[in-house]
Amino acid sequence: MLRVFTVTIVVLIAIVALTGLGIVAVRLVRQARQRKRALLAAGPRRALLAFVADNGADGGHDLVALPDEAWQAAEAGALGLLGKLRGEAHAALVSVFLRRGTARAALRDLRSRSRVRRARAAQVLGDLEVRLAVPELCRLLTDRHGEVRVVAVRALGRIGDPTAAWRLIASLDQSDPLPSLLVTHTLAQLGPETEVTLSAALDHPEARVRAVCLDALGLLGAAGSVHRVARVLREDSTLDVRIAAAANLGRLGARTAIEPLTGAVGPGRPAPLRAAAARALGDLGTSAGVPALVALLGDDEYRVAHEAAHALRRLGRPGLDALRSVLDTEAAEMIAAGRGTHARPSSAAGHALEALSLASVGPDPGASPPGSGTLDELVAG
Amino acid sequence: LIIREILKVTDWAIFAYFVALNSGYLVLICMAGLEFGKHLRRAPFAGADDMFRSPLTLPVSVIVPAYNEGAGIVAALQAMTALRYPRYEIVVVDDGSTDDTFERLREQFDLVEVPRVVPGEVPYRTQVLSVHVARGNPETLTVVRKTNGGKSDALNVGINLARHPLVCMVDADSVLDPDALLSVAKPFGDDPLRVAACGGVVRIANGCKVIGGRVVDVRMPRQWLVRVQVVEYLRAFLMGRTGWSRLGGLVVISGAFGIFRRDLVVKIGGMAHDTIGEDAELVVRLHHYLRERREDYRVIFVAEPVSWSEAPSSLRVLGRQRRRWHRGIAEILRKHRRMIGNPRYGRIGLVALPYYVVFELLAPFIELAALVLLPLGLWIDAVNLEFAWRFALVAYGYGLLVSLVSLFIEEVSFHRYPRWSDLVRGVLAAVLENFGYRQILAAWQVTGAAGAWGGRQAIWGTMHRQGFDTAESLPLETAGRR
Repeated sequence: MLRVFTVTIVVLIAIVALTGLGIVAVRLVRQARQRKRALLAAGPRRALLAFVADNGADGGHDLVALPDEAWQAAEAGALGLLGKLRGEAHAALVSVFLRRGTARAALRDLRSRSRVRRARAAQVLGDLEVRLAVPELCRLLTDRHGEVRVVAVRALGRIGDPTAAWRLIASLDQSDPLPSLLVTHTLAQLGPETEVTLSAALDHPEARVRAVCLDALGLLGAAGSVHRVARVLREDSTLDVRIAAAANLGRLGARTAIEPLTGAVGPGRPAPLRAAAARALGDLGTSAGVPALVALLGDDEYRVAHEAAHALRRLGRPGLDALRSVLDTEAAEMIAAGRGTHARPSSAAGHALEALSLASVGPDPGASPPGSGTLDELVAG
Repeated sequence: LIIREILKVTDWAIFAYFVALNSGYLVLICMAGLEFGKHLRRAPFAGADDMFRSPLTLPVSVIVPAYNEGAGIVAALQAMTALRYPRYEIVVVDDGSTDDTFERLREQFDLVEVPRVVPGEVPYRTQVLSVHVARGNPETLTVVRKTNGGKSDALNVGINLARHPLVCMVDADSVLDPDALLSVAKPFGDDPLRVAACGGVVRIANGCKVIGGRVVDVRMPRQWLVRVQVVEYLRAFLMGRTGWSRLGGLVVISGAFGIFRRDLVVKIGGMAHDTIGEDAELVVRLHHYLRERREDYRVIFVAEPVSWSEAPSSLRVLGRQRRRWHRGIAEILRKHRRMIGNPRYGRIGLVALPYYVVFELLAPFIELAALVLLPLGLWIDAVNLEFAWRFALVAYGYGLLVSLVSLFIEEVSFHRYPRWSDLVRGVLAAVLENFGYRQILAAWQVTGAAGAWGGRQAIWGTMHRQGFDTAESLPLETAGRR
């Protein structure tokens, strides 16, 4: 048994020593790589900056003629620049990449066995906005590796081809789905032509798909889909989807959204939905929502009353007037009941007071300070 | 003879326990290594910038409980208000400070009192005295004054006043990396219907240079006591929790930096008042609630970027902290004992919580037992010297290997300590940890657990902060938590 121990100790010492050496080796290799890369990239980086500063008028040939090793060292910086440039400079830099054969190589790499190469290729094709790559990028939406799928989605968004919309939506309904936020953003980047596809996908059996499509419609400002979204708000079986529908009706900002949102704040609905609908009524920015919001100020659910008060605050003058009116009415009732003005305000007045106070201390005050929590200053005022 | 035999068997059992304990750590660390690889590969195209620009990004309420944090609160909040995140508010809950915490805030941020309806969505036991907002930016900063009631109570008041769907709990002395909030909130954007909570990494800030509320130069601390804690944090918090996250069994999210869906926190009743480990208890209760309802959910951990926090630099304060932590584990495991080994709670009930019982709660007891029984065995001749020294060398050598593998993975993945001298200090700290530190830690932990089982009153104590190496006035002598 002692022999087993001795062998174990020897093995342990060897592994400990190897791990220590490994730490040192990793650091040495990384530092050497960084130094080499910095050295190689210095010249091309200067040439690149001069090229884009000159809107690509001069220096393109020099960049195309750079040795591969030097270009590779500077390529990450050049790709980063692509995202920040617009107009002639962007087109000129894209042309440098194309002349260097980057797009051709990237298209080839989309079928590489290495997931890192596939992801990098998708990223490059997106940055270069190569429309030709859309079918291949759509194929990558079902890649077995998540990181590849993520990059493919982003690349499709950069390219902005609306034909990719249904493939993107389908990619949400798989066992290891894509990030919702990313797909939403990408769908919105594809432009208003996707509205029909998104609207149709509101009947998709998967709740997550419906939620993403709602958000994308909201981002697009697809006012033509208000009725479809309103139907989801009324009928969907998943609460989170209904909440998304309410939020996006507010974002769409159409007057026709008032009726479904007013219906959603009614009693009997789940409190989170009522709160979201109250907030959306404020986001609509129209005074037509004021009566419904005022009625919610005294709601038993704190979150509903709170959202209603702050929605009224965000509505500006008509909302603030309604809040003041709630306080006035309550003060008058207090006096009539002989309860004095130092009585604590009701829940509705409390929320109104809070919203008015916040409105008065913001960078652009829309109301005068209403007092410190009791109705006395209000009445005295 | 019987005693001799019993001691012999016990010594072997203890040896097997040490091997199992360190193997468990090694598995978690390897899992963490795989996770870091995935994280780093995805980082260039993970879409942090898209999230920052997207109007769909979920807004966050950052809740900062503060008790006598006057010396550092302004700098900490200045850093928090400069975080890179599209929409968030900060709710500072001044938990009855007896120093100038509130006055400093009022002066710096031009606070103005506003009437606020404080809901009772989660219970709190104390009285809210007043609510204030920053005059120029009332949507971003809210400061609540309340009577003293402890950290859980302060957090519950903050949760009640939080307006956004995500609540992030941050200690008042924490320094967050600029992208920290974006990083911990990102999983909620990626998988909004399933992610329930996300924990962030807490690293040790002692010795680091902090300028303008940012850690700009990461260095090893000056004291060996803190250097050992750096290695310990790497192994147990960074690697251990990442490993558990990958296994789907994360049960601890640090109260110093964690983010939760507010609606779920409200549904489970907010922070518990009856445990000192309120952060971990919240996560276990969240698991309990969601598993009972058979919900499809995820509790995850992100390894980068991080929140920086000051670690105890004296044995007295460290002892108090570790007694408290272990007491917290004991209380949580007792409170949720029905989950342990119960298949209804999936990996949490069958793997994570049993692991915590065997390898976290009991580990210091076994370590102390080994320290007593091995010499005893030698004395009564139950074990011979040859066995004893080999036993100790293998047990501690395996522990050292686990720490070194953690350092190796840190070097491959994040390499936060760029100086060669810091690397050497890290390796030496991993060796030194085995000589005295682990043993005294075990003694503190045992007294912590005994305190929980004996029903003694829990005490937070006072954390005398040394402050960071800073060009500006970050905490120099803050008296912190109760």
